[in-house]
Amino acid sequence: MNEPLLKPTEGKRNAGAAYWHRPRAMLTNALWYLVLGLVAAAVILPFIWMLSTSLKDAQEVFSYPPTWIPRAWRWQNYLDAWTAAPFARYFFNSFFIAAAVTLGQLISCSLAAFAFARMEFRGKQFLFALFLSTTMISTQVTLVPSYLIVKNLGWIDTYQGLIIPFIANAFGVFMIRQAFMTLPRELEDAARLDGCGRLRFLSQIAIPLCRPVLAAQALFAFMGNWNSYLWPLIVTNRQEMRTLQIGLRYFVSQEGGTQWGVYMAATVMVTIPVILFYFLVQKGFVESLATTGLKG
Amino acid sequence: MKQKLITIGMLLVLLAISACGGGQAATGGAAASGAQIDSSGHITLEFWFALGGDSGKAVEDLVTQFNQSQNNITVNATYQGGYAAMMAKVWSAVSGGGLPAVAQVGAAPLLGSTGSIVAIEDLLNGENSFDRSQIPEVFWDYNRAGGKIWSMPFNQSVPVMFYNRDLFKAAGLDPDAPPQTWDEVIEYGKKLTQDTDGNGAIDQWGFNTAEDNHWYLSAMLLSNGAQIVNAEETEVLYNSPEGVAMLALWGDMVNTYKIMPPNQHNEAKGDFLAGKLGMLLDSSAGIPSMESDSNFDLGVAMLPAAGDQPRRIPVGGASLLIFKNANTEIEQAAWTFIQFMVSKESSLFLSTHTGYLPIYTSAADWPELQSYWEEHPNRRVPVDQLQFAVAIPEFPALGTSDTELRNAMQAIELNQGDAQTLLDAAKVAVDKSIAEGSSQ
Repeated sequence: MNEPLLKPTEGKRNAGAAYWHRPRAMLTNALWYLVLGLVAAAVILPFIWMLSTSLKDAQEVFSYPPTWIPRAWRWQNYLDAWTAAPFARYFFNSFFIAAAVTLGQLISCSLAAFAFARMEFRGKQFLFALFLSTTMISTQVTLVPSYLIVKNLGWIDTYQGLIIPFIANAFGVFMIRQAFMTLPRELEDAARLDGCGRLRFLSQIAIPLCRPVLAAQALFAFMGNWNSYLWPLIVTNRQEMRTLQIGLRYFVSQEGGTQWGVYMAATVMVTIPVILFYFLVQKGFVESLATTGLKG
Repeated sequence: MKQKLITIGMLLVLLAISACGGGQAATGGAAASGAQIDSSGHITLEFWFALGGDSGKAVEDLVTQFNQSQNNITVNATYQGGYAAMMAKVWSAVSGGGLPAVAQVGAAPLLGSTGSIVAIEDLLNGENSFDRSQIPEVFWDYNRAGGKIWSMPFNQSVPVMFYNRDLFKAAGLDPDAPPQTWDEVIEYGKKLTQDTDGNGAIDQWGFNTAEDNHWYLSAMLLSNGAQIVNAEETEVLYNSPEGVAMLALWGDMVNTYKIMPPNQHNEAKGDFLAGKLGMLLDSSAGIPSMESDSNFDLGVAMLPAAGDQPRRIPVGGASLLIFKNANTEIEQAAWTFIQFMVSKESSLFLSTHTGYLPIYTSAADWPELQSYWEEHPNRRVPVDQLQFAVAIPEFPALGTSDTELRNAMQAIELNQGDAQTLLDAAKVAVDKSIAEGSSQ
């Protein structure tokens, strides 16, 4: 299974060279790149603005006309941001929680998805519908009941209070189930004939084949938890259990008095790990797409 | 086999996570109860506060001062998000437990009906009494609901009018004579609204408010003698002729006089700091940051009056409240802490380190404040304004009322109805909410 069935397409690359020599195709491509460039600019400009603001002093933040390159680079903002709150601890908490939830979701979602996709049992359709219906209840509705459960378990101010409620994820189950359903029946039958059990088929054949989908789910899970604010705020009271997003909010004053430069410096520090993680997973996407070889 | 081992390993990691968290629960449990007394009688109180930034730092400094001032009580202060997040957190804890001993909450008296807070009014006259007359009555009104004072005034603010003195000069206006009435605001606003680069689009506006917040519209309605709610708190009254006239004026500022851009309130503060806006209504709490963030000559004026009527200015801010505890010693310790937080010294500290008001009637005569004001003349304005301050009654449907007023404001700016129709509709919605609330 590790051998790609189709070599990455040398033929296509040659076709591409010819393609570029056709003026109409070139024009179409140029237009596409223009559109892509504009979209990329729209995505990246706020980040550049954030970087720029993070190095400005208070008076330059709102100055008009706006300056992209700060007049005097104020690195002090980063130092102020880092020392304003125990950010090292916040980083650890956010990373630990997001990583644990991601790992947990990948395990629980692929197990559940496998059952829904490839096994027959009574009430399967009903259970799956029930599962999916939970995605339609908004977090605001479940906030207080969830708090009560966590509180009664004595999980306030604990890691499990921040992790366990998010280990199961209906959307993840749905997405991975759809991916598993595309695997040909014959593949499983062949594996079974060779004496491969279900768990082994899942871990050694199904999961590697559906790596892009799992990578996507990992990305959703990690980012969602890294960015989550209200739940960590509600179930933690102590400084040591707080996460980065709560730390960030502390820079915003209720009725004016926000130090935008320092706030943006902190935001840069908080955003970088997510961007890094994204690139990491993105590489996984591309690689697994190139090696699956099952397509078509 | 190897894969299986990895799977098992992952599950073990998960188990380990929940196990190490278990240790945390044991230590976290004490904090969740809000307070504790050790064998020697030393009391530890949990205090939740809602201010971030420099103001939050000032609150933390006050708590440190309290902890150092005596040996019997230690207060742990933790930040819990802004007023809205704090409310969400408090409501969760009211229904599920885990309340702190003391909290700083906006719209605090509305928690009185939950039965989980100690009425400050009962403590004011208790054995550790506090002389109520030192603090202006308007602040007590702000903390009253259903006829009872539930919470202690702490960080109070009023809306003020910020103006750009440089733009005033450039427009030929006297920066030492800011507008005193809404009519003058319009007159000044027309001169300040300019198309500076001559491309046909206005790029410098005359007037705006810092958010699309009901606070500013309420200030306008009140200034013309309109009332928000009747004394029995059974119906809202702002669809009166006085109220309608002011909402219409608000709309006229956008559509007739064109001194205010429609629905651009959230950008207004940025515009003002960028020198593209002449006058801005904002909270007095923002004066220090406005001073440090602006690179022009900043002026602060009182909120305008309606014609020759007296000014009426709605106070805002947050209060301190005590959650009930089975142990009265803890409630008393919380009360001692609150008395420290609102003492004259603390009030002076808070009002010179943040933009919040000193809450004492005598504050204007304090020598420390007078010398402070000589260096920071803008900081005097909100205190001078206090004589005109009023409190909007804290009735249970206030949230609905605020939303309805904000909707009316947005609609009139977009010319989506006349002021009378909009306020009539708002009244119907809010009165319905009041009726539903009281029938429960």
